[in-house]
Amino acid sequence: MIPLGYFTFLSAFLFCTGVYGALTRRNVIGILISIELILNAVNINLVAFNKYLGTPDSLGQVFALFVIAIAAAASVVGLVLIISIYRNAKTLFTDGIHLMKE
Amino acid sequence: MDNFMFYVIASCVCVSAVLAVTQRDVFHCALWLAMTLLSVAGIYFYLDASFLGVVQILVYVGGIITLFVFAIKLTAHIGDRAIEQINRQWPLSALVSMLLLSICWRIFATHPWANICLNTASVSMAQLGRSLMANYAVPFEFMSVILLAAMVGAIVIGKDKR
Repeated sequence: MIPLGYFTFLSAFLFCTGVYGALTRRNVIGILISIELILNAVNINLVAFNKYLGTPDSLGQVFALFVIAIAAAASVVGLVLIISIYRNAKTLFTDGIHLMKE
Repeated sequence: MDNFMFYVIASCVCVSAVLAVTQRDVFHCALWLAMTLLSVAGIYFYLDASFLGVVQILVYVGGIITLFVFAIKLTAHIGDRAIEQINRQWPLSALVSMLLLSICWRIFATHPWANICLNTASVSMAQLGRSLMANYAVPFEFMSVILLAAMVGAIVIGKDKR
């Protein structure tokens, strides 16, 4: 059996990859992809802790389900916002979107 | 054999996640994200969370990746190969995320729970459903309100004003 620390390290790696992507991508869609990676890292942690130190009502898995649902809602709204920004500003690059500064 | 499977799935997760944030073409990024999500579903199956693995494949790979592909195709020329997709701060960002990872590594290496190898009984799907509908029924219903709000909001924002 794999120790719990391996799963937390995997999740930390995924999280840091997501942070790197969210900081470096110029495209808003790329940033959303990185945020999905971060949410998945959280889910791995929840499921792994539920497996190793879980309570009888499996709170970790229930929470992971909630995180998946929230992520779905967030990405739906995010992608619609992206389409809307593209329609108005004709760009999706973060350095080109400055509606609030004008 | 059991441990070997973990290493295979975990390396799939790591490699495809790194490719998903470094690829130049945004469409390729979305495909690598799909690969990452499938490998994470594999991790769930490995951890005996089979219901969660199925939900991961259905919701993420079936739903969210399709939405991403739609969004990328509707904004086609933005993801063009000729345009630079990474901004100038990338060395600093790489440094920050490496630092974060090494801090996590230090904590995990020294903390007592990191070496726990308990093999607890796996959660059955019936048990998960019971706890979802009995103990956590209010958050569960609240979740449906959030999904409805997201759906209505998406239609309102996405509607063409002209």
